[in-house]
Amino acid sequence: MAITESPEGDQSSHEATALRHLQQGLGIWSVSGQLEYCNSAFAASFGVPQSALVGLNVSELLEFTKRQGTLIGFESPNGAPVLRLHGMLLICADGRVLSAIDSALPSGGAISLLTDVTEARRNSMALVQARDKATAADQSKSRFLRAANHDLRQPLASLKILVYSCLVADKEADRKQALHAMEVSVSIMEDLLGALLNIGQLDAGKIEPSVATFQISAILTRLQVQFAHQAREKGLDLRIIPSKLAVVSDRVLLERILSNLVSNAINYTEVGRVLVGCRRHGRLLRIMVGDTGIGVAPEHHDAIFAEFYRVSDTQAQARHSLGLGLNIAQRLSAILGHTLGLTSELGRGSLFFIDVPIGNVWHSGGDEPEISERIGGEFAGLCCLVLEDDRILREAIISLLERWGMTVVTIDDFDHVAEAVSTLDGQPDIILTDYRLRGRIQGTDLVGTLNDLLDKPCPAIVMTADTAPEVIASIRAQGFPLLIKPVSPPSLRVVMHNLLFEPGLMAELP
Amino acid sequence: MSTAPIIIGSMVPLTGTSANDGREFRNGLSMAIDEVNARGGILGRRLEAEFVDTGNQSAVEVVRAARQLIHQHRASAIINGYNIGPQNAEYEPIADAGIIYIHHNTLVQHHDTVASDPTRYFGCFMGDPAEYWYGQGFIKFLSWLRDSHRWRPRNRRVAIISGPKPYSIVIANAMAVSAPKFGWELPIAPQIHPTNADWREALEKIRVHDPAIVAMTHFHAGDLARFHLQFMEKPLPSLLYLQYGALHSAFSEITGEKARGVITCTVIGLPRDEIGKKFAANYRARFGPLSTPEIGCQPYSSLHHYAIAAAVAGGTGEPGNGEINRRIAKALIDIPYRSVVGMIHYHPTWQAAVPYPDATQDPSLGIPHLFYQLRSPGESPALIAPEPYIEQPFELPPWL
Repeated sequence: MAITESPEGDQSSHEATALRHLQQGLGIWSVSGQLEYCNSAFAASFGVPQSALVGLNVSELLEFTKRQGTLIGFESPNGAPVLRLHGMLLICADGRVLSAIDSALPSGGAISLLTDVTEARRNSMALVQARDKATAADQSKSRFLRAANHDLRQPLASLKILVYSCLVADKEADRKQALHAMEVSVSIMEDLLGALLNIGQLDAGKIEPSVATFQISAILTRLQVQFAHQAREKGLDLRIIPSKLAVVSDRVLLERILSNLVSNAINYTEVGRVLVGCRRHGRLLRIMVGDTGIGVAPEHHDAIFAEFYRVSDTQAQARHSLGLGLNIAQRLSAILGHTLGLTSELGRGSLFFIDVPIGNVWHSGGDEPEISERIGGEFAGLCCLVLEDDRILREAIISLLERWGMTVVTIDDFDHVAEAVSTLDGQPDIILTDYRLRGRIQGTDLVGTLNDLLDKPCPAIVMTADTAPEVIASIRAQGFPLLIKPVSPPSLRVVMHNLLFEPGLMAELP
Repeated sequence: MSTAPIIIGSMVPLTGTSANDGREFRNGLSMAIDEVNARGGILGRRLEAEFVDTGNQSAVEVVRAARQLIHQHRASAIINGYNIGPQNAEYEPIADAGIIYIHHNTLVQHHDTVASDPTRYFGCFMGDPAEYWYGQGFIKFLSWLRDSHRWRPRNRRVAIISGPKPYSIVIANAMAVSAPKFGWELPIAPQIHPTNADWREALEKIRVHDPAIVAMTHFHAGDLARFHLQFMEKPLPSLLYLQYGALHSAFSEITGEKARGVITCTVIGLPRDEIGKKFAANYRARFGPLSTPEIGCQPYSSLHHYAIAAAVAGGTGEPGNGEINRRIAKALIDIPYRSVVGMIHYHPTWQAAVPYPDATQDPSLGIPHLFYQLRSPGESPALIAPEPYIEQPFELPPWL
């Protein structure tokens, strides 16, 4: 029948067309709750043909479509029984979220209209997440301020007392003792503020790892230096077993994690030892920090990684700890994608570990500071005694020699040379002297005196701005290589090299 | 614009102990100049080489050569292989003249000199990596052998013997500094000896420490051959590394089959790829089957790089024309060049070629540090590291 044949037929045909092409899903439920009709958008929402849905009640429809895998889940208002679709949020397998609204029909039964609310839902969830994050940050900040207030007050109070003690101390020994105690208080505050700063950076998402391949030994050596004194003072045996492997991580962040673990281990161990070692697990290196300390009861294993967590307040107070070290370690491990774990029993010590990928040794060391003569030059590690009374010139020479990796010692008091030699920081390998010192002492004479006093006499180079032929001839006649001021670095380099390593080439000097 | 030829100076040891290398440096530069001229020169101007002999390569001889090239020949650039001995003293007249200087001295002191006054030394470039990388790279190589289970060392001890030259001492120091970082130990500090030493004494001194590795950082082929023959009189149960000179034919001719198993390397050589092989064939076709393209390749590559940079900069500059030469220097840094030795990629601060895999993980951005193991007479040394240049596997030396 053509749609223009009668006005009524025309109307019903339009309605049928509208229903079929409606973008929203529409279903009609009978008085007894079965689906009598649904448009194609309704069926498409569930990813099944219309014929498969007609005849099902709401509960059956939801069950069926879940079994089909096209519906992932639904949320009913206030957990109401599933008798109607009204108010439900349907979560489809393709990621869409549909909201259902029912309208009652005059004859009984109802019409359900499904609307796509995916975008709105996402925005709302993002808002909820942002709110939760803000609330958590706020709570964290409040905890932070409470903890900071509590923990920083103690060393600060000590400091005030100690400053007073220092001011009124009569004896030098008392003052020194007070100063030492002040130093300890300041270092405690420094540690606490450092930890708080780390947490602040983590909260602000400001830590971006810089991942490279490097030798784990670089960190292990620094840990030994960093904690040896602290462990020794507490009577603990700190053992760090060397490892030769390369790892892929952020050197600074990994060191921060491990130093938090070692610091914790020393803090919570009264007797025995702290052991750091590595073991290969396939493509991972497990770096372990074990101790013979108080241990952690199993019920605290997860909680000790939480921010500001303390097993007991008294313990924390005694150790000046905010309870942040493990939280920082865990959050940094998460940033690096490393697994951080713990095995421990109360009273039987703890073993913290972190798993780090093993790296290719060829790639190791690419992040080292730029190579220079200071690190690997031919003079690196040698000691030069510089005798120069012009302060500016002396500093320039010292700076040059230090850039070449040498240690430099100087003597300023030319009238009491024996005393000056006895206080030198190192045994020189070579002497560099001005010819006229303070206008009256000849560098060549001084070298002779010095070589009589030194454990091991060493060769010397003489510098002079005096180009009088008789002066030059005199210096040369005494067998000293000579450089005319201003001394050029290449010339100094050549003379020093030949004098130290190839004396046979001295005749070729420029 | 001037049509006069552009003078390229070159300070080469054509007499003295390094005369063999000096001849190869001259050959390499001449070949590159001919190729550039065949393409029309630099912006239409032909290149002409001026060689000055540096004899024993002392500071006096090399500085004199630089002055001669600048003042007498008005060289726009000086490009050559290495000169051991001047200790950068030649940088002074070159910096005063404001011209480009590309050498292959393989010295870390180049970094220091350039860093001390980058404005003054803008034109001084080192076309190969510093010798420091030999030391650090060798320790990485050893660690790679160990960690990849190609070799199981008896212990962790490394003994180092050095010659008296700065080059050898720096390599020895670099090995000593790097070794502990990679799990090795030095039972005795690096031993520095004069070149005419009786090496038996040095070997006996380290024998008591029972090292798993003996590394010799002196580089003259003849001295190395003498050292090796004395080592083989009573071999230590150790891997043996001999510095660069062991790659010379002179070394193999003296040591023969006894050289098999020795490890050696170079931070600038010819990778055995299509480009390297083609260059080697052309070089030998021109200079004879006994010529050494592995050495001639150094100034050859740098001359080509210079020609490209000068063309980009808009020309070349004689002494005193620092402005154009500064543009050339910038182009040398900005435009890496894939030469026959691999990628010449100048580090912007060092003004030295970056080595792979020592300083970059990207083989397309560095000159490969090639490790070889010597085989029997008549066989080419086996290229055993690093990836992706490996051609043959490492084998245990016959004395182990």
